Amino acid sequence: MTTHNHDHPNPYHESDRDEATNKAMAERVDKMEALLLEKGLVSQGALDKLADIYENDLGPMNGAKVVARAWVDPDFKKRLLEDATSAIAELGFGGLQGEHMVAKENTSDVHNVVVCTLCSCYPWPVLGLPPNWYKSFAYRSKVVVEPREVLKEFGTNLPDDVEVRVWDSSAEIRYLVIPERPKGTENLNESELAEIIERDAMIGVTKVSAP
Amino acid sequence: MKEERKAKSEIAEMSGSAALPRKSGEMVFHDDWERKSFTLAVSLSEQGLFEWHEFQSELISAIKEAEGDDPNHPSRGYFESWQASLESLLAKKLA
Repeated sequence: MTTHNHDHPNPYHESDRDEATNKAMAERVDKMEALLLEKGLVSQGALDKLADIYENDLGPMNGAKVVARAWVDPDFKKRLLEDATSAIAELGFGGLQGEHMVAKENTSDVHNVVVCTLCSCYPWPVLGLPPNWYKSFAYRSKVVVEPREVLKEFGTNLPDDVEVRVWDSSAEIRYLVIPERPKGTENLNESELAEIIERDAMIGVTKVSAP
Repeated sequence: MKEERKAKSEIAEMSGSAALPRKSGEMVFHDDWERKSFTLAVSLSEQGLFEWHEFQSELISAIKEAEGDDPNHPSRGYFESWQASLESLLAKKLA
């Protein structure tokens, strides 16, 4: 497992501190914390709550806005399919740390679904944190071999003549599925459309239904 | 779109060198003091002691300083720069 580096090689991701450095930093931070608590500028409760919020926050759910724009703006969709990283940046969504975004469009003939077979690479700047099932061994191992069966488990029954394409994510490439715009949504505007586009459809395990 | 967001996007979605260390979207804290330094900064900004962009500017400068001539081998880690930024900003604000 040395060749497949699934995490972006960010120098800040690895802790290579020695014990002494770590101890010195811990003391420095503790000292500051004690001072701020004493001055009443922070409270222990607020600090604990913030740690919980930022570690468990689902993150930016911007994917729905990207898809809704693609549905209403053919030129944007073209740019999205050609270079998703730039097109997504056009909408002002940042946070990418070197990962390249690729968009795959579902049509009446082709259904795309995304997995990370080796770990849990995920287009988090557009979809937030990955759901637990995405990280599960069951999903990662089965969707490649029997995608139609897995899709059925999500309630997505595809006709036999629809081609299923499975995309395996990596450190470098993160996929976003552009689901089909459902019939009966002709009167919805872009922000109303964004409301009906759910995460699972952008991973490709479900379809979007009209409200 | 139904999940309610709680984290502030100006903090959670900082980009470039200041971007929070994440692994597949999840924040990465290697040592407890990193988490503590992180929440102290966020909490103080929520209390209005400083605006987040003020802290972010300090952080960007601190990271740049740590990178020197070689961005691939910074002289200290992200959260060391984070803590240094917080100390320097507090010194100005509480002076």
